[in-house]
Parts: sequence; C-alpha cells; structure tokens
Amino acid sequence: MKIVVLLKAVPDTETRFKIREDETDVVYDDSIEWIASPYDEYGLEAGIQFKEKLDGTELTILTLGKGNESQVIRKALAMGADKASLINNEDLASSDPLGVAKVLAKELEELKPDLIIAGRLATDSSDSFVGPALAEIMKYSLVSEVSTIENFDESHLVVLRDATGRKEKFEVKLPALITTDKGLNEPRYPKLPDIMKAKRKPLDEKDLAELSAISGVANRKVKQVKVAFPPKKQGGEIFTGDLDEAVDKLVKALHDKEKVF
Amino acid sequence: MKIVIFLESYNGKLVKAAKEAISVADKIDSGAEKIGVLLGTDLDSIANDLKNYGLKEVYKGEGGEYATYHSSIYAKAIKSVDADYYVIPGTVWGREIGPRLTVMLDSSFAGDVTEVLDSTKFVRSIHGNKVLSTVEVSGQTVVTVRPGVFDLPSETPSEYELKTLEGHKEDHDENVSLVEVLAAESGKIELTEADIIVSGGRGVKGPENFHLIEELAGLLGAAVGASRAVVDAGWRPHSEQVGQTGKFVSPKLYMAVGISGAIQHLAGMSTSDIIVAINKDEEAPIFKVSDYGIVGDLFVVVPKLMEKIKEVKNQ
Repeated sequence: MKIVVLLKAVPDTETRFKIREDETDVVYDDSIEWIASPYDEYGLEAGIQFKEKLDGTELTILTLGKGNESQVIRKALAMGADKASLINNEDLASSDPLGVAKVLAKELEELKPDLIIAGRLATDSSDSFVGPALAEIMKYSLVSEVSTIENFDESHLVVLRDATGRKEKFEVKLPALITTDKGLNEPRYPKLPDIMKAKRKPLDEKDLAELSAISGVANRKVKQVKVAFPPKKQGGEIFTGDLDEAVDKLVKALHDKEKVF
Repeated sequence: MKIVIFLESYNGKLVKAAKEAISVADKIDSGAEKIGVLLGTDLDSIANDLKNYGLKEVYKGEGGEYATYHSSIYAKAIKSVDADYYVIPGTVWGREIGPRLTVMLDSSFAGDVTEVLDSTKFVRSIHGNKVLSTVEVSGQTVVTVRPGVFDLPSETPSEYELKTLEGHKEDHDENVSLVEVLAAESGKIELTEADIIVSGGRGVKGPENFHLIEELAGLLGAAVGASRAVVDAGWRPHSEQVGQTGKFVSPKLYMAVGISGAIQHLAGMSTSDIIVAINKDEEAPIFKVSDYGIVGDLFVVVPKLMEKIKEVKNQ
C-alpha cells in the first residue's frame, strides 16, 4: 500500500520572533531554526509504524516549502520514509489556505496514496485547514486529530480521537486521510547509519515546468495584512515574604476585587 | 447580508462554542440575517433555547443521515443553505467541517479566529499565540471561531422560521462512520470550556503530588491543566497539556502552580483574564505575565490557599 505523509517545515516552537518594519509579517532570517511541525512528526511516526507492520508499504513524504525544508526532509528519510517529494516555491507556499491545499492535491492526485497522514495543525499558521480540505478535494474518508490507532490493515482503520472531553471512535475504509494529535506515539530519533543511508534515498523536486502547471491553482483570496505581538500584561502584584500574609492578600484580591470566586 | 451559523449540539444541548459563534455573526454584521443550521438527534429541547438569539431561520436536519456526526454530510447540509458568511464553532467537529465547506464553496477561509475587526478583517494567532495576524478575506467566507474567547450573545426573545433539511449522501460517505462515543469522566471539566483552570508543572515534583492540584481545582470548580514537561514525563495525560503543542486556553482565572513559564507554555495561556502564579523561584518567567503571584514553596502555599478559600466561600 502507498502512504503519503505531509510534512511542513516550521520555526522551532521556542523561537522568539521579530516583526518586520512594515508589520506585514514576522522576520524569517538565519536566526530561525526550521523543524518538522511537531504534529506532522507524529504523523510520520505513524506512517513508519504502518510500514513496519504491512509488507510492501511505500512511504513518501510530501513537502511544500520555500527553501527552508532540506534538513526536515533529510531527517524524515532517516527516520524511515522511503522517498520525498518536494514542491519548493515561495510563491506557492505563501498561497492562502485553500491555495496550499489545491497545490498539494495536484501532487497527491499523481501519487494516488491509499492513506494520507498529516499533523492536526502546523504550529506556525495554526489553521487546522489543509488536512480536512484535502480529504474533501480528494473525496477521501476523513478522521482528524487521531490520538489512538486501535486497529489497521490494508483496507481499514479503527481510530479514536478526543472531542471536548469525550472520545470518538471511527471505522474507516481506505482511501483515507487522517490527521494526528499529540499522544499518538513517540517519534523516533534517526540512527547514524540511517542518516547515512537517507542521503541515497530519492528526492523528487518539482522543476519549473511542473511548477507552472500547478501554479494556476494557487489562491490569493485571503491576505495577511498586519501582524503584531499580543498586548503585554502590566506588571502584576507579586507577594513575597510571609506566606500566610501572601495567601490572605491573594484570596482577598481574587474574591473582593476580581470576584472570580 | 446572510450569515449561516452551525449550531453544534451534543446530547440535546447547544455547545457553548455555538453560542459564541452567534456572537461572532453579530460582530461581522449586526444587521445581517442570521440563519442557524441544527443537525443531530434530540433537537426539540434546543429549539426553545434558540428563541433568544435573533435568528431569522433555523434549518433542522434531525435523525436519518444526520443522526450521528459525519463531517462530509454535515458540511453538505450547511452548504445547502446559501449565505455570504458561514460561522462555524472551532471545535473538533468544526475544524473538519470548516475546511470541507471552504473547498465546496471555493471561498475564503479564516480559521481559529479570536477577534473580528470588521466584516472583512479577522484576527487569529500564528506561531502558537506568540504573534497575532490580521487577515483580510474577500467574497464568500468560512470562519471558524476559537472556543472560549468570545462572550455569549445578548439574549432578546425572538421568533424564527423553522425549516427542514433533507440528507445528502454520496457513495464515498459510507466509508467512514462514528461507531462509538466514550463519555467524558463524570464531573471532569474540559479545559477549553472552563472558567477557571489550575495547572501544575514540574514544581509539583511527581504524579503522586498532583492530588494537590486536583483538590485546589475541585474547590474552585476548575479544570486541571499541565505543562509540557509533566506531560512528556508521563505524569499527566496529553489532553491536559496547555501550550503551543497542547491546548490554547483563555479562562477567567488561570492558576499556574510550580510552572516556570517556558515560552511555549505562555503561548497557550497568556490570553487568560487573570493569571496567578505560585512558584518558589522569584525569577521564573511566569511572574512576568501574572496579575498576582506568590513566591513560595507550593507544598506550603497550596494547602494554606485552600484553607483560606474555604473560609471565604463559607462566609
């Protein structure tokens, strides 16, 4: 069976951002370390585990990037993906959410996977859009935010997810698209020999002709017009010293002034 | 202008995020025709609740194809009602329905919205709440709304016209089905719906001490949260994690107990109305975003705090 894992390169989650002078975006400079979006990495690990259990499975990673993804792809190949497909184009990568989904769908229609796996959101754009949108475009079965895979074979999946406190269990026939949540698995660290081997694994980078065939689908209906830092809290009241007194003051403030209980 | 709102319900009750979505529709255009779409089973009791929100029409799809949640069938039902805007609660269901609807309509999409500036400009957070992004949409637009951020809509009695939706199913819709729902632990409050959250971090020193956090939460009717460090250590389930790779919360009161305040944790909770930190390290970054703080050993402070809260509550 064929599995495609969607992998997005995002700034490390500990990054401290600067905002551009024209306030239309944050600064993406050399100080930023690019990593695989953490939720995508749960998806990749899930794909590798499928491959380990189902003989003859081919695992491809698909990335839409803007020149910042080579390390992320190499690590994914070292972890266990068989090959990578890369659409490296700043213009396409900065389409609006629907545009990004349409660009990826073009490539997925070529790859014709039985199962597509994506993270439940990318930690940079935080849309939770591309996975479910692709399921709609491709007419695949969809379960998002999967936190447990109970059962699987070449044609079925049984999965669970958290839904506002309760859990929902789905039975899914392939072809399907699932998005993955934290808690599903622990992504592995690549071993040194695998890192060496990964260098010989195939990387299919779209050339200009292929890109121009795709570019017509990129959307520009939604534009980011401004970015800003969230308003900062003014310095609070921090009580030090005698703890009985501190507790009295805190409870008084929460009860009398803030009226939260 | 017409605005369709998906009135998500569960167990015969409108979910809170659906009411917040009505508020968002009012903010997009207070003069718009608001049209509700209500899908599922046991919808009768909800009908009364709906008479307070100024809806003009409600399309109801009950039982049959709509009996259990199905992202594709629900999205098609919502799409069948024509509108300029579609406002969807950003719950786990809405996060499936919103993108599907956007594809069906070939429309603009603004996801996980936290503020409405005007009818074409929405604020949402990127890079895990560290940066706010204003997006401008054009034409028909699907909006998903981050739960727990917007106020509930003002209530004024109003009548609406009730219409019925027929189910539309395509062949491929048979390939996925919700076969079982495992109920939430009784009495447990969901993080994203809680007015008060008490979270514990590494300072709690071990899973065996988390009863302190649970007791304080119980006393305040609060949900229990956790930092990434304690979730990764396996002390608490990942469903309790607050932060960039966990849940984004903005309750009325957030108490961080033994949490130093790593940037990715702050990203998940810094929009809370009131933040209280208890930490023995005076230099902990959590104090910089706190409205109130106590510098001290949590194992001494929390029991004293519970005693004092009980005292005040009994007055």
